[in-house]
Amino acid sequence: MRKKIMTILIAVAFTCSVLFLMTSCAKKQIAGEEGITAPAAPAAPATPSAKPGIEEKVSDADADRRAREAAKAAAQAKLKKEIQTFESGNIYFDYDRSELKPKAQDVLTKKANWLKKNGRYSVRIEGHCDERGTNEYNLALGERRANAAKKFLQALGISGNRLTTRSYGEEKPAAYGHDESAWSKNRRDEFKLIK
Amino acid sequence: MMNSRSSSTSKTWKVINLICWTGFLLIIQVILPKQGFGKIYIDINAPSIQKINIAIPDFKNFSANKEHPELSAAMPKVISNDLDLSGFFTTMDKEAFLDEDGPFLTAQNIRFKNWSVIGADLLLKCGYTCIGRSVEVEMRLYDVFRGRLIIGRRVLGKIETYRSLMHRIGNEIIMALTGHQGIFLTRLAFVGTSTGNKEIYICDYDGHNVKQITSDRSIAMFPRWSPLGDKILYNSYKDGGPMLYLKEFSRGGVKRISGRKGLNIGACWASDGKKLALTLSYRGNPDIYSVDLEGKIIEQFTNHWGIDVSPSYSPDGTKIAFVSDRSGLPQIYIRDLNLKREERLTFEGKYNTSPAWSKMNRIAFSQMSGNRVDISTINPDGSNLRRLTEDQGKNEDPCWSPDGRYIVFSSNRAGGYHLYIMNANGQNQRRITFSKGEQTSPSWSSY
Repeated sequence: MRKKIMTILIAVAFTCSVLFLMTSCAKKQIAGEEGITAPAAPAAPATPSAKPGIEEKVSDADADRRAREAAKAAAQAKLKKEIQTFESGNIYFDYDRSELKPKAQDVLTKKANWLKKNGRYSVRIEGHCDERGTNEYNLALGERRANAAKKFLQALGISGNRLTTRSYGEEKPAAYGHDESAWSKNRRDEFKLIK
Repeated sequence: MMNSRSSSTSKTWKVINLICWTGFLLIIQVILPKQGFGKIYIDINAPSIQKINIAIPDFKNFSANKEHPELSAAMPKVISNDLDLSGFFTTMDKEAFLDEDGPFLTAQNIRFKNWSVIGADLLLKCGYTCIGRSVEVEMRLYDVFRGRLIIGRRVLGKIETYRSLMHRIGNEIIMALTGHQGIFLTRLAFVGTSTGNKEIYICDYDGHNVKQITSDRSIAMFPRWSPLGDKILYNSYKDGGPMLYLKEFSRGGVKRISGRKGLNIGACWASDGKKLALTLSYRGNPDIYSVDLEGKIIEQFTNHWGIDVSPSYSPDGTKIAFVSDRSGLPQIYIRDLNLKREERLTFEGKYNTSPAWSKMNRIAFSQMSGNRVDISTINPDGSNLRRLTEDQGKNEDPCWSPDGRYIVFSSNRAGGYHLYIMNANGQNQRRITFSKGEQTSPSWSSY
C-alpha cells in the first residue's frame, strides 16, 4: 500500500515537473524571438504546438488556460516594451570627451535597475563619435565612451561579465549631417541586449 | 676608269660605314642611354622646382595595318598625366604644336625650331607597332634647345596593359632627368564605399585600374601595404570588433592576425616586413605594441592612461610617431624605442593626428582647427612646420610615396571624400580617384 502511494506521488511529481519545464521552455523561446531578433514584429500569439501533450493531463477548464495565456502575453508585451525602451535609450557625450553627464548617469541608473530585475540579459555597449577627427583616434574615443558606461553600471552592481563593449568610432552615425545638431546625436553610447 | 671605279667603291664604303655607324649609335642610344648623357636636368632636392615644358605629340602608328589607332592619343595621355603629377613638368597643350616633323623619330626627322618656338624644352617622340595582342613602343626624348637625344627606349608589352607600359616609360624619363627612381609603377590601397559598405580597394598610383580586394560586407578600414608589396594588412568588423587581418596576394587568402578584445587597429609595418606597431586595448586602455605576423606581442611600446594610437615608424626604425591625448587633446608624440623616451612633437593647434613619417625624414599629419582640417608637415625635431593644404575642404589621412616626395590624402573639397596627390611641399594638388562613393584612408605601396 505504502509502496503504491509512493509510486503515485513520484508519478505526480514527475508530471508536474515535465509540465513546468515545457511551459517555461516555450516562454523563453518566444521572449527571445520577439525581444531580440525582431523587436518591431507584432506580438505573436502563444504557440499552441507545445500544448497538446499537456492538455490531456490538465483537467482545468479552458477559461483558466486562456487567462494564463493572456497574462503571459501581457507580460511579454511589457518585456518587449521594456527592452525597446532600454535599447533606444542612448547616452550622449560632449565633443572629444568620455565623461558621463548627469543626464547620462540617470539613464544608466535606470538601465542598471532594469538589469538587476532581468538577470538573464547581458548588454553590449557600443561607443560612437561624431565625424570630426581621425577614424583611429575616434575608435579609441568610442571605446572610452563605452567603457565609461560599463564602469558606471559596474559601480551600480552589474557584473562585468554581463557587460561587453565595442567601439564603432565614427563609422555608424545616427544622424547624417555636418553640423553640431548631427554631431551631438552621434557622440553617443548605444545599448544592445543579449540573452 | 680606274679612278672613277675606286671613287665609286669608296663612296659605297662611305655609305656602308655611315649605315654601320648610325646603326651602332642607334644601338648605343637605345640600349645604353644613361652612360651617353650625364646631365641632370632636374634637381629634385631643390626647394622650389622650375617646371620644364615638355611637348608630347600623339604617338605614330607604325603597325602594318594601322591597328589600334586609338592608342596614338591614349598612350601619350598616360605619360602626360604621370609627368604632370610628378610636379616637374608642364605638359604642353597639343593645340600649340606646329608638328611638321618627318615620318620617323630620329633627330634628322625633327624640326627642333618648330618646338623651341612654342617654348618646349623637351620633346617626347614615340611610335608604336601592334603585333597581335602585343604592342612595341619606341620612345625618344629630345633636348629641344640642343637638338639632341636624351634617351631612347624600346618597350614591349600587352596592349591591354598599355598603361603600365607607359608608366615604365615615364619612370625611364624621370630616371634620365633626375637620377632618381620614378613612382609611376607604384600602387595605392584605400577604403572605398561604392558598394555601400566600406571595402578595401587597390589601384595604380594615378587612380586607374581600381580593384576591390575585400567583400566582407562589414566595415573594412586602414589598409597598409607591406614593404614588399605582397601583402596588405587591414581592419574589419566581420568577426565582431575591429580586428586585424592580413591579405596575401600570392596565396589569395586572408588570415586574422589579432582578434583581441577591443581595438586591434592602425597597424604600421616595420621596414623588415616581419613585425608591426599596432594599437591594442585588450587590457582596457589603448596602447601601442610591437606585434609579429602571427599576432604575438613582442613588446609594449607605450603605457599610458591616455589614448595612444596611430603609430608610424621612422625610416631607420628607431622611433615611432604616434597620437596621444595625454595632454588633454590629441597631439603627436615621438617615442625613441631604444631610449624608451617620449616627447611631444606638435604644439600648434588643438587637434593633431594621423602622423606619417617619410623616407625623407619629414612627418606629415592632419591638423584640425575649428571647422578646418589641413595637412601639415614638420621635421622630427619640431622645426620647419608647414601647412600644405588651405581653404580646400577637409584634408585627412596623409600617406607618403615610397620616395618621400609625394603625399596621397583624402579631401572633401569636391563634395564627398576622394583621393588626391600633391608634392611634398604642397604644390601640384591633383584629384586621382573618381569612383562612385567615397575614397579614404590611402596607403602607398613600395616601388
